[in-house]
Amino acid sequence: MTDRIKKVVTGVVGNDIHVVANRLIDISLQARGYEVFNLGVNTYLEEFIDAVIETDADILLISSLNGEAEGWCRDLQFLRSEYQLKDVVFVIGGNLAVGEAKCEDIVPKYKAYGFDLVFHQIDLNTGLDTLEAFMQDRITK
Amino acid sequence: MSKLLIDVGSTYFKTSSSEGVAQAFRDFSMTIFDDLSHKFANKIAAYKKEDIYICSSANGGLSTLIIGLTNSFSLKYAKNIAFNSGINIIDTVLVHELQTSVAPTQLLDVVIVVGGIDSVGGIYDTKLISYLAKLRYSNIVYVGNTQDVPFLRSHVEALVVLENIIDNKLKVREEALKEYLTNLYQQDIVGKEDIKQLYAITANQIFSTPYIVNRSLPFIGTKFAVVDPFIVVDIGGATTDIHYSRDLVRDNIVSENGFDRLVFKKLGVYKSRESLVFAAKSNEFVYEMLNYLNVTENILEEQSEKATKILMLLSIFLVLYKVSSYKPAYVTLNLERLNALVFTGGITKVLSQDEVLSIVHFFYKKVLNTNTIPTIVLDHNYDIWTLGMHQ
Repeated sequence: MTDRIKKVVTGVVGNDIHVVANRLIDISLQARGYEVFNLGVNTYLEEFIDAVIETDADILLISSLNGEAEGWCRDLQFLRSEYQLKDVVFVIGGNLAVGEAKCEDIVPKYKAYGFDLVFHQIDLNTGLDTLEAFMQDRITK
Repeated sequence: MSKLLIDVGSTYFKTSSSEGVAQAFRDFSMTIFDDLSHKFANKIAAYKKEDIYICSSANGGLSTLIIGLTNSFSLKYAKNIAFNSGINIIDTVLVHELQTSVAPTQLLDVVIVVGGIDSVGGIYDTKLISYLAKLRYSNIVYVGNTQDVPFLRSHVEALVVLENIIDNKLKVREEALKEYLTNLYQQDIVGKEDIKQLYAITANQIFSTPYIVNRSLPFIGTKFAVVDPFIVVDIGGATTDIHYSRDLVRDNIVSENGFDRLVFKKLGVYKSRESLVFAAKSNEFVYEMLNYLNVTENILEEQSEKATKILMLLSIFLVLYKVSSYKPAYVTLNLERLNALVFTGGITKVLSQDEVLSIVHFFYKKVLNTNTIPTIVLDHNYDIWTLGMHQ
């Protein structure tokens, strides 16, 4: 991975209209120097993958607040392999379950879906710090 | 002096003048010019060439193959622009399927190649060149990322390169491709010998009918009690066009044009009758629908006035079915939100308001599971077309 400005595709997955959170993520990413492609709310998984391909993005950051992501992201592994997106970092964050759920149950589930980083009910800046550290780690490796 | 407006359709001629609207069935044994001059001789003679305006949809539109990188962006954007320019899309191919896709055998009027924002390169390579070698086409246009332009220019003969239709924010940029395709369609119309001859009676440019109809939509409220969002369904002899408000679509295209067009090439009651019957027979609701209309399936094989009426009703159902959420396809319209359904074209001369109302009721009840239907408007006098011609 080179030093060029990193491209991030972001948006809210499924039937979820939490636009304020989406805007905050967009602004925070831009403030940290990323080139952001914001697909907005109500976005399908296929649209996220297609946006990654069209922009040759480095990161896909999906957010979900109403807990629907569990149903919408099951095909990620399949799509990831179909388009051979092995260098792209897949991140998901927000409220990732309907009702009460523990991080130790939720995180492995989403990692099994194909996400590299999973942030369940973790604040935005902590999540983005972790993402930056993850990206840095990749470069040094 | 007033104007004489003429529409050359695949099945009918229509004229509009200060005396009102007239129409005549076309005679396919003679040229368009001879047929038109014969049927409307007095009318044409009464107007100066400068006061005669002609539009035509008789050439059937251009056929297009689109090659793109993804369904949600490059293919979707290119399809949308192509439909709005009056183009008929015969197929689409994804870049990663180029080696496994079967190339269409028919002669294509135009091939559109698209993919990637400008900061992305290396999408197209020799795989595209090998695929293009299997095609027969008259024009090829590239509207993808700028980085692949040198490679494509050096390998593809007569390639037209236009501005990328995907901007750096992943939004659609439609003007350059739209203008190119509209001009190509225009050239195709005026290039046809049959249409060229019509310049003997008009001093004005001959436009394509879908373009004229689309142009009239922002002003439709001046003629009908129509509330946005609405759709205009133009069921003709060879094709069926739908012009719809963009408010009815949930997608990622942000465009300046408030109305988009979709064409169903194989849904027409005369020239495309066989494919319409085939589509009807393949539909899961057909027997219930025929029962509802009090006829049996034998009617589909008959050549009578009643059979034509039934086919028209079937085509209304099929068109709504094809754009409904029940059958997700290229465009899914939110028909539950629809306020008005405007019908134009040949069917308005054959079907009554009650007959149209009845089939729309059946569709909404059966497919969308609701008894509430939009306002039905029948454009009996081809006002939409005359409105577009006058603009």
